[in-house]
This record gives sequence, structure tokens and C-alpha cells, in this order.
Amino acid sequence: MEQLNNVLGFPILSLSIFLPLAGALAIWLFVRGEAAVRWAALAVSVATFVVTLPLAFAFDPSTAHMQFEELHPWISSFNVNYHLGVDGISMPFILLTSLLTVICVVSAWRCIQTRVKEYMIAFLVLETTLIGVFSALDTILFYFFWEAMLLPMYLIIGIWGGKNRVYATIKFFLYTLGGSVLMLIALLAMYLKAGHTFDVLKLMAYPFDFHWQIWLWLAFLVAFAVKVPMWPVHTWLPDAHTEAPTAGSVILAGILLKMGAYGFLRFSLPICPDASQYFVPLVVVLSLIAIVYISLVAMMQEDMKRLIAYSSIAHMGFVTLGTFMLTQQAVEGAIVNMISHGFVAAALFLCVGVMYDRLHTRLIADYGGVVNVMPVFAAVFLVFAMANVALPGASSFIGEIMVLLGTFSSSAAAQAHLAVSTKWVAIGAATSVVLSACYTLWMYKRVVFGDLVKDTVKSMPDMSVREFAYFVPLIALVVWMGLYPKPVLNVMHASVEHLVAQASASKLPAAAALAESGQIHEIAALR
Amino acid sequence: MANVSFPFPFPEHLATLMPEMFVAVAAMTLLIVDLFLPANRKHWSGYATIAVCVLAAFTVVQVMSAKPLVAFYGFFVLDPFAAFAKVLILTTTAIAAILSIDYMRGEAHTGEYYVLMLFAATGMMLMASANTFIMLYLGLELMALCVYVLVGYQREVLRSGEAALKYFVLGSLASGLLLYGISFLYGVTGSFDFAAVGQAIATSGGNTHMAVMLGMVFLLAGLLFKLSVAPFHMWTPDAYEGAPTPVTAFMSVAPKVAGFVLLIRVLASALPALQHEYVTVLSALAVLTMAVGNVAAIAQRNIKRMLAYSTIGHVGFVMLGLIAGGAAGYAGVLVYLSVYMFMSLGAFAIISLMRREGIQGELLDDFAGLARARPGYGLAMALMLFSLAGIPFLGGFWAKYAVFLAAIEAGHLYLALIGVLFSVVGAYYYIRVVKYIYFDEERVAFNFAENRLMQATVAVTSIAVVAIGIFPGPLMALCKSVLAGLV
Repeated sequence: MEQLNNVLGFPILSLSIFLPLAGALAIWLFVRGEAAVRWAALAVSVATFVVTLPLAFAFDPSTAHMQFEELHPWISSFNVNYHLGVDGISMPFILLTSLLTVICVVSAWRCIQTRVKEYMIAFLVLETTLIGVFSALDTILFYFFWEAMLLPMYLIIGIWGGKNRVYATIKFFLYTLGGSVLMLIALLAMYLKAGHTFDVLKLMAYPFDFHWQIWLWLAFLVAFAVKVPMWPVHTWLPDAHTEAPTAGSVILAGILLKMGAYGFLRFSLPICPDASQYFVPLVVVLSLIAIVYISLVAMMQEDMKRLIAYSSIAHMGFVTLGTFMLTQQAVEGAIVNMISHGFVAAALFLCVGVMYDRLHTRLIADYGGVVNVMPVFAAVFLVFAMANVALPGASSFIGEIMVLLGTFSSSAAAQAHLAVSTKWVAIGAATSVVLSACYTLWMYKRVVFGDLVKDTVKSMPDMSVREFAYFVPLIALVVWMGLYPKPVLNVMHASVEHLVAQASASKLPAAAALAESGQIHEIAALR
Repeated sequence: MANVSFPFPFPEHLATLMPEMFVAVAAMTLLIVDLFLPANRKHWSGYATIAVCVLAAFTVVQVMSAKPLVAFYGFFVLDPFAAFAKVLILTTTAIAAILSIDYMRGEAHTGEYYVLMLFAATGMMLMASANTFIMLYLGLELMALCVYVLVGYQREVLRSGEAALKYFVLGSLASGLLLYGISFLYGVTGSFDFAAVGQAIATSGGNTHMAVMLGMVFLLAGLLFKLSVAPFHMWTPDAYEGAPTPVTAFMSVAPKVAGFVLLIRVLASALPALQHEYVTVLSALAVLTMAVGNVAAIAQRNIKRMLAYSTIGHVGFVMLGLIAGGAAGYAGVLVYLSVYMFMSLGAFAIISLMRREGIQGELLDDFAGLARARPGYGLAMALMLFSLAGIPFLGGFWAKYAVFLAAIEAGHLYLALIGVLFSVVGAYYYIRVVKYIYFDEERVAFNFAENRLMQATVAVTSIAVVAIGIFPGPLMALCKSVLAGLV
């Protein structure tokens, strides 16, 4: 292993991972009383957020190398290492996680009244596993955090969820576990093939032949597609989202879905570049189905959380599309979309949560004319409804336009495997702009506007300062990224460039010779 | 194989047998002492059993050496591998005794109960050290006869008697098959010694092949019966459900450890020449076992019955390590058995705590609201269940990791794939119990039969499962190192 790259003199990633866990343990052992538990959880989550901030400030955007690395042997007999590090792709997600966890803790302040302690502990443990997933550079360590995430999430949905929570949480658990175990087999097979190493960076460099790449890629696909989720393995998501408590939906939409797309970026593309290119048509078709069909499904939902859940699937279709277009612009667009969706979907679930806390119903039909009694809330809701539609000025606009432009001018590598021009793909994907406006604005109209006829709605008080407080950072971030995305793009630029180079190069020896002379179509024929 | 030519066993031969002799003598002493214990002091036998097991485990570690000690003309071998298994067996016996103290309080004849447990432990220790087919059979029968009686210990309970009878009848049949198989192998090779049999099979031509194959199949059938490998698993659910819970805990772990260790020795030294044949047989049975165990467990409403099928499922996973063979495969088996010991004993400890009036506290419904009533037990049980399901940061994940990796390395990718898919099926019934513990409201007030030792057991097993889950390195290295002399 060459020199570890960590400009900070201390193990910041370990600290970010284990601070929430230590906090959870301390709360479990020492903190008594619900109010004390809430404040303690807030303190821990804010402290974690503060600890993760240096990741952004000390980050060197000029290099694609892993930064803030840590490497210790973990299980020496199997060469499993505790290897952490982030690049421009993973770093933003760690910050997103630590920020959303703070928001989750605040949002649960009033609406969670039973088993507050367990709730806060579950969220802090969840934060540990999520930060671990985004910083792990050892495949077994990655899998370790990836699966450990299931435990707190299972309990969060199952204990504090809605009426149908048991069904939803068991479905969520089994879907995700079922997807992941195939990835475990792939990781073990890679370990044996690539000379007994679980190190992600070494596996990226190992020349797997085409046959191997295909099978590894498919195993990864199952794991990541369930998590993203891609059509047709998306059916757990509407149930899980709908039944989860507000903060559970926030974390699900904000972070968990990104884990799947992150997996594509971290594993599928660099480790199996040839298979990734080979399967471009498959991903394109699945993404378009997610964008078009799921958007139509979203339109017909009567439950607000279900609608947002379907909207999330549609937006993640954009992410998978951008990821596999293999151009700098499209991949960066996909990542911006992921981050932006982390804000927007989280905020929309919080908006629904605000209404749910008042009337205890999620059905669109039970509302109407909310603007008359909750003007501030209506304004906040509008901001995020517009952001969901990808209105220019919102972060999601940047992401979607980058994906569309990147798709229009798609790379030769991706184009070589597609029967139709990527222009047609871009046109298909662009329908999302119309469809998302349809379902989002229609829902907004039915809920917020109209006459105030229902007595229950009349009695709704407007947002409290606490509720408003957790929307402020989200509004600021959505608008900031929408108007001035340069800092975020800067961070990921070098890493994405490196990734696109990895994904466009071939690991096959015969293809290398052809690539020298630029015969891209002949490489495709080789496969 | 005998490394001495004296007609009479020398003291050093006896020394290698010290732990077994200690346990057996202690058991006989206990039988007599128990007669003089007043009725309200009968549970002292339980404490004595715990002490005997702990002392015996220390003796094992004292007596063993890195070099295999062969005694009694090659009948008995004490190597680190056997010693490791004996420590697991004695730990299990000690914990089963801890669970029994309150559970058996008030039952008649508790003295014999502990004595039977100790004799069973002796039998299993002999199995772990068996180096000839005679020793194998002696150890196995000593263990089996004691466990038959333990299963039927609650004579007045109908299902207990029924379970014991079923187990006894089928077990006797299995013993018959085993003997039949041994007779074939003896007939062909002229020896009972594992290594000698192995050598004879390797050097013999194809003319003895059919008889050797028959011998192998009958031998495996007899041994796999004790391990509840499908299709020889029929007795397991009934015996688990009918037996007193501490006995269920005992038989879910100790005989499996002894059986797998014995099987490893038989496969590695007596049947290496038939590897291709036995791998085929075991692969088919492993798939069947994983399927039967994990699928049938879903339908169970009684947790002991569910865990019986769960054991069957886990045995199927352990078999992957056996099939993979070699240092990695057998180390995987040992890792799995060690982790399984903690998981299973921890789970059964909580189940026996939940015993209320009569024999309740065994239905899944009875767990409703446990986390609310007693967060500690709720958490511990949830950890055991998640660990059994193989979720990371708990030991069960590394157990599966070790055997799956070994299976893939040995070229059995499809077995590993089938294994992980069944582990997902298995996860369903484990997390369903977590549902009762965490999501449901308490229906009947809990009334725990607990004492400090049991609380300590729950705490220690939980901590062990988490500790192995986070730092599996030492256990994996240990399991690899004890195999050094064998493969």
C-alpha cells in the first residue's frame, strides 16, 4: 500500500463513523428522561455534523485520489482491512448524511412520543452505518455497513411506522437482504479471483475478463437495483416510505436510495467497465421505464407519501440513466441529482410530516385549502414542490439538465451499444419534466389550494419555529445549489473524470490495442 | 498406529484421557452424593455440574499439546482440534446446566438429570477424540443413550415421552446403519483405525469399490442422523419441542459439535480417497437440509420447534464447510460451530427464562412486547435472532462468510449461491420473532424464572456474539491454527 493520503492529522472518518455510535451507547447507558434523550441525541448529531465539516473544507478537489485515508488490518487471515477514504463522489454523501440526521432528530421532537430513547439510538446507529458505507474502501467493510443498516431501519419502520408497518418493514428487509447476498457472493468470488484482496482500489485495477465482469456486474445490479430502486424491484419502496415515520422516510429517500446509485459508481463502473458498457441498453430501458411509467403511477396516488415515494423512483431513474451514459456531464449530473433529491425528497416528506402531525392522515382527499390556515407552510411546501418539478433555480434543475445534456452528447462507449441514438433516450427522459410537474403540482393544488371546507383542516395551526427551523437549511441548500452549483461540481470534478476514464477504458487485453487506434465500435464487437 | 508396544496402557495414555475420566468419575460421584442431598438442596448438583465442566475444560487445555497425543493403540487422539471441540462441548454442558437449575427445580430425580448430562458430555468428548471406528461407536452411543433419556425427562408430560420414544427408535435405527457401514469398511480393509482404513481404500483397486461405497453411505447415514441432516432430520422437531428447554439448548449445540468434529476426522483420515463420492452425496444432502430447515421453520408457531428447523438449516450451512474441505473449509466449520454455540445458547437461555406456568413461553406470541417489558432480554434475543439470520456486526455473519468463502474457493459456487438464497428465506422467520419482541404489545404479564447465573449467561452470549461480529479475526485464526496437524 502506498502512502496514505490524509491531510488532517487525525482519523476524521473513523471519528465521523463512531461518534454517533458512541453517542448512542452513552444515551442508552446514561441518559434518562425523554427530554434529556432528545437533547442528547441532538447534541450528538450536531457534533457529528460538525466533525464531518472538515471533510468539505480540507478536501483537495484537484485530485481523484482517495483522501482522509485510514488503513488498519482487521481480519488478517483473510486480508480484510479497515480501509477508509473518500473522494469527490463519496464525500458529499457523508455530509448529506450527517446533515439529514440532525434534521431527522429535530423533526422527531414532537411527533415521536413513544420509546423516544430507542428511536434516537436507532437513528444514531443508522448514521454510523451510512457514513461507514460511503467511506469504506474494503469490500467486506462496505458490505458490513451496508447490511448492518438493515437492523436500525427494520426497527424504525416496524416500531414507529403506520398501520401496515409490519408488512412494510419485513418486505423492505427481505428485498434488501435478498439483493445484497448475491453481492456478497460476488465480493467473495472477486477476492478469490483477484489474488486474495478485498481492497476496492486494487479490485478496480484488476483485469477481470469479460465473462467474470458480466456475472459480477449482474450480481451488483441485483443488490444496487433493489436499493435504488429500479423498476421492477421497486415495490418495497412505496410500502416502506408510506409506513415509515417521517424521519424514517427522510433517511430512506435522502440517503438509502443513494447507496444503490453510489454502488454503481463505486463498484459496477470501475470494476466491470466492459460489462457496464455492454449493459448500457438494459440500464437505459429500466431507467426510462422508471422515469415514464413510474411517473404515471405517481400521478394516480391518493396518499401523499406514496406519491412522493413513486416520484423518488422516477427521479432515481434519472440518476441511473446519467450514471451509465459515461460522460463527465451525465455522471456529474447524476450525482448532483442524487444530492439534490436528498434535499428535496427529504423536505417533501417533512412537509407531509408536518401535515400528518396535525391531522394524522396522509390522504390527499382529506386536505384542501391548507394555504388559508398555514400560509408559511404553503410557501415552504411550494418551494420544494417546485424543486421536485426541477424548476430553474432549484438544485434539481441543475442535475436534470446536466443528465439530459450529457445524454444528448453521450459518450461513444455508451453509444456503441445502443441501437438508437442517445438523443432519443434524452427525449424520452425529458418527458419527466412534464410528468413530474403533473403529479407534483396537481397534488399541491389539491392539498394547498381550493376552498377551506373541512373543519379538521380549519383547525390546523401554522408551522412552529422548530418546524420552520429544519426547513431553512434545506431551502438554502436547494437554492444555493440551483443558482451556484460550481463549488459542488468542483469537488466531484476530478473524481468523476477519473471514474469516466476508468469506465470508458476496457479491461480486456485485445480491446486495449484497438483503443490505441480509437476503434470504439470494434471494441464493442469484440464483446 | 500404536506408538508403544507394551501390552498394558501406560500412565501417559491415561493422562491424555484425563478430562474424560474426570467428567465420568465426577458424574458417578454426583450420582451417589445426590442420594444424600435433602430435597431443597438438590439443585446443588447443578452447581457441581457447572464446576465439573469448567474444571474439565481447563484440564483439556492443560493436557493437550500442539503435537497430537495418540493413546490406547491409536484408539484415542488428543490434538488441538479435539481439544477445541471439547472446550466447546464442555462450555455448552456448563451453560445447559445453568439453564437447568431453575428449570428443573421441583422436578424429581434432578441428580440423575445432571449425571446424564455429564455422561453425555463424556461420550461427546470421546467422539471428538475418536481415532477408530470402535471408539467412534462407543462415544456416539454413550452420548445418544444419555440424550434419549434427557429428552424424555419430564415423564409426566406426554409430548416429552413421545419425543423421546421417537428419537430412540429412529436413533437406534441410525446406530444400526452406522454399525452396518462400519462392518463393510472393516470387511474390506481389515481395520478399524481411521488412517489404516484410509490407506487401504486408497491403495485398493476398483474390486472393493462397491462394498466400500456401501460402507461409506451407511456410515454417513448413521452420522448424519445425529446431525439432523435431511432426510434424517425427522426426529429433530419433536425431540426439540418435547425435551425440557435446557436439554434442547444442550442438544442443539453439543452433539452437533461432536458430530461435525467426528465427521471431519472420518472424512479427512478414513475417506479421503472417496472425496469425489462423498462430496456428491453431501452436496445433495446439504441443499436438501438447507431447504427443509429454512422453509419448514416458517410454518412453526412454537419457538422451540422453529429453532429445531433453524438448527437443521444451520447444519446445512455448516455442511458447506465440510464439503469444501481443506484447512479453509474445516476452519469454517469450526468458526460456524463456535458462533452457533453462543447464538443458540443465548436464544435458548432467554426461552427458558420465559417459562411461566407449566410449559408456556414457547409460542411466538408469548414474546409479544418483550422489548417493552424487559429491554435487556428483548435486545439480547433480537441480537441472537439477527445473528442467526447472518446480519453483519453480529457473529452469525462471519460464520456464514467463512463457510461460503470456503465453498466458493473449493469450486462449489452454486452451493454458496443456494446457501445465501436460503439464508434470505431463513431471515424471514428470525425477523418475524423480532417483530413480536419489538413491534407488538405485551398481552400477558411476563413472569421470568431468572437468576444471576442465567442473566450472566444472556449477557455473556450477547457480548460474545457482538464481539465476534466486530472482531472475528482471533476466532478465525484460532480455528485455522487448531487444524494445523489434521489437514
